[in-house]
Amino acid sequence: MPKADSRKPKATKIMKKTFSNIAYFLGSMAILIGIWQLISIITKAEIPSPVSTWAVFKELMAEPFYDRGPNDKGIGNNLFSSIGRVFTGFALGSIIAIPMGMLMGSTKIGMSLLNPIVQILKPVSPLAWFPLGLLAFKDSGGATIFIIAITSLWPTVINTAFGVSSIPQDHKNVGKAFGFSTWKYLTKIVIPYSLPHIFTGLRLSIGIAWVVIVAGEMLSGGVGIGFFVWDSWNGLSLEKILVAILIIGGVGLLLDKGFNALQNLFSWEKA
Amino acid sequence: MTTLENSVKFVDSASDFHKINSTETAVSIKDITVSFKGSKGTFTAIKDINLTIKKGEIVALIGHSGCGKSTLMNTISGMVTPSQGEVIANGNIVKGPGPDRGIVFQNYSLLPWLTVYKNIYEAVDSVFKEKTSIEKHELVEENLKMVNLIQHKDKLPGQLSGGMKQRVAIARAFAINPSILLLDEPFGALDALTKGSMHIELLKLWNLDNRNKTIVMVTHDIEEAIFLSDRVVVMNNGPEATIKKIVDINLPRPRNKKDIAHDPEYVRVHDELLNLLFDKFSIED
Repeated sequence: MPKADSRKPKATKIMKKTFSNIAYFLGSMAILIGIWQLISIITKAEIPSPVSTWAVFKELMAEPFYDRGPNDKGIGNNLFSSIGRVFTGFALGSIIAIPMGMLMGSTKIGMSLLNPIVQILKPVSPLAWFPLGLLAFKDSGGATIFIIAITSLWPTVINTAFGVSSIPQDHKNVGKAFGFSTWKYLTKIVIPYSLPHIFTGLRLSIGIAWVVIVAGEMLSGGVGIGFFVWDSWNGLSLEKILVAILIIGGVGLLLDKGFNALQNLFSWEKA
Repeated sequence: MTTLENSVKFVDSASDFHKINSTETAVSIKDITVSFKGSKGTFTAIKDINLTIKKGEIVALIGHSGCGKSTLMNTISGMVTPSQGEVIANGNIVKGPGPDRGIVFQNYSLLPWLTVYKNIYEAVDSVFKEKTSIEKHELVEENLKMVNLIQHKDKLPGQLSGGMKQRVAIARAFAINPSILLLDEPFGALDALTKGSMHIELLKLWNLDNRNKTIVMVTHDIEEAIFLSDRVVVMNNGPEATIKKIVDINLPRPRNKKDIAHDPEYVRVHDELLNLLFDKFSIED
């Protein structure tokens, strides 16, 4: 939604801020690479140096989308397959999480009944769910999506519940005073009010989903960035593992930034 | 924009005098007590209150902060359920809020994610389900024009000043055309000039409807109470607040802001109300 007034002099301020942000980011990366180089020197190149990793990165990027059979695919194929699974699992999780959170946030009974379930299931490791997923779906791909859904939905549940339960009395009074129907109350008061909270939850959830995918694919095998890491370990290419780690980190950062932007898009100013 | 001068002229030209056309009762409050259960036990805000408001009357509730005047008004709106007694509005026992009683909240209570237009439209849409969307649109525009906000209709509440927000809240309450209008310090945040023109707008609306509208308002402002009301209900300080006195305002209508201040009756009533409100305190401190 549009913000109050975007006065002209602010533009240069924003430019300056962007420049300093970029400078700090580059500085931060320099520290990371410096430490990495140091470790590489200390371990006598057992941990590959940034330079040799860069060489492997260029090699992998030269042909990112090749497909030579089931266990030999380009890094691009692996990455996109992982992203696809993450979004499928995340979407399924969110479809359950948002209504569940709304139920918890809107009634005391809902909160009392569902909160213990959330508290018990939330800390369970994704790996513990994997066998159940295999049993249910008879397929490692399905099982991976299942563990992503079930481990990533909790932050969305909790944040949605918090958003819905914290609707100010003033807003509720508007609905009461003008006799809003349940549908109008839901679409004009509950959802708009809690949307920023829901997006905070979704942002945390997609972060978890992206962490879980690597673990999941290491178990499931076949294709995916997690499998790529495991396969590189078997092939004793530490450079490839490092490349994969950087790509996983980079994609994670982009996902976070994307959801952050969505969150800002759906937030409103207090009246 | 309607200027203050124009609005005053309108009231000057209105010819009929103070009279309440009907003997019908709009609101009857019977032995109301409101208690809230808190962590430190029960707090009784208002106790054993009886008040009958005739159809077409303008009644002001006045008293110190925290005396329970808003609580009393909220029993009429249905936002507060009395612990004892009952409120009858338009012949029905009040069980909750309803569109026959329009409310202007003290803190405006606009939905911050909806534009000015949408804030009013959603209320209109909710109350007048049978109207077409064109009729609803016209109703919203008409009320926005009344409060001089038509050029701000696409703004969000966060972009408006306090006075503008209050005018949106007033337009929203007027738009659903309630027979009883409940105003909780509706003009508190307005500057003197805007306040004056809103008073005129309120009376204009009340006049146009042939005084079928009953208005109950909570206010701190003695001048406002006298200028607008037929009766002023002065409340004791809470807790367990009761009605101290009901003062009749026998000033002929239409009342003119400029002339009224010199009317001996105005001066007398003003003094009486001041004394009722400030008997415990000396003005000098």
